[in-house]
Amino acid sequence: MKKLILKLIKPKDASWAMDIALAIPRIVYGYLLTAEFGSPKFGLPWSDPDKNLGLFEVAFWFPNEVAEYGGIFALMPAFLAWMAAFSEGVGGIAWILGFQTRIFSFLIFCTMLVVVFVHQIQYGYWNMLPGMGILWISAISMIAGSGRFGLDFLTSKWLSK
Amino acid sequence: MKKIILLYSLLFCFLIISCVQESYNQTVTVILDVSGIKDIKSVGVRGDSKPLSWDEDFEMKPLIKDSLYTTTFSGKTGYLFAEIKFVVNDEFELKDKDNRRVYFDKSRKTIYKATFNKND
Repeated sequence: MKKLILKLIKPKDASWAMDIALAIPRIVYGYLLTAEFGSPKFGLPWSDPDKNLGLFEVAFWFPNEVAEYGGIFALMPAFLAWMAAFSEGVGGIAWILGFQTRIFSFLIFCTMLVVVFVHQIQYGYWNMLPGMGILWISAISMIAGSGRFGLDFLTSKWLSK
Repeated sequence: MKKIILLYSLLFCFLIISCVQESYNQTVTVILDVSGIKDIKSVGVRGDSKPLSWDEDFEMKPLIKDSLYTTTFSGKTGYLFAEIKFVVNDEFELKDKDNRRVYFDKSRKTIYKATFNKND
């Protein structure tokens, strides 16, 4: 089990410059995900009180929107909506901290696939770009891990002892 | 290690049961005083909650022609209020000012009275 956890969290060896280049977009988009995109539809301590969201609640309208995508989304809209909102709201914090970077990057990657290729595609390529930006960062973070600038780095060092 | 797995499982269970925000049907009746405005051709309300939208009027009918107009709309919501503005002859009220907030009554039937262009 320890080996598995180490495999999940241990960042790839890279230069300082590479780690900085990985950390900056991850932290910036982590902040945007949790503060701007996640908090209006997922109950977090910094969600707007006017939204009347309880802690970790997904907004009432979001499952309906997800169900409209059809197919698998119509089968379990509440669960998928919750997972998507969780990925953005909590995944954003995890990205800032570099905590369980690969797991949260995978969740964010899945969410962004839907955002880009199911939701935004109807509005044209220009509207797909922001989601695509996060999609690429999540793909790279899934492979590289947190780099030096994250809790995963410290945890993996501690576990390796 | 088992403790870590148990902790993660408990955390996930706690998160997933929080689930979806509670929503309920809310019926809102708005009554608008437009006395003093001449040549009224259309009166409507626009807002952020379905069935309202910011792009099209939700038509209001006269209770007293050229004086009092009303409409009723209902929808499912989890919010505590809706933001609206009234529109007469395709002209928005309260330009460059905040939207009106219609706070929902706990009885789920809300009556909101207003005067065009005056935010009380």
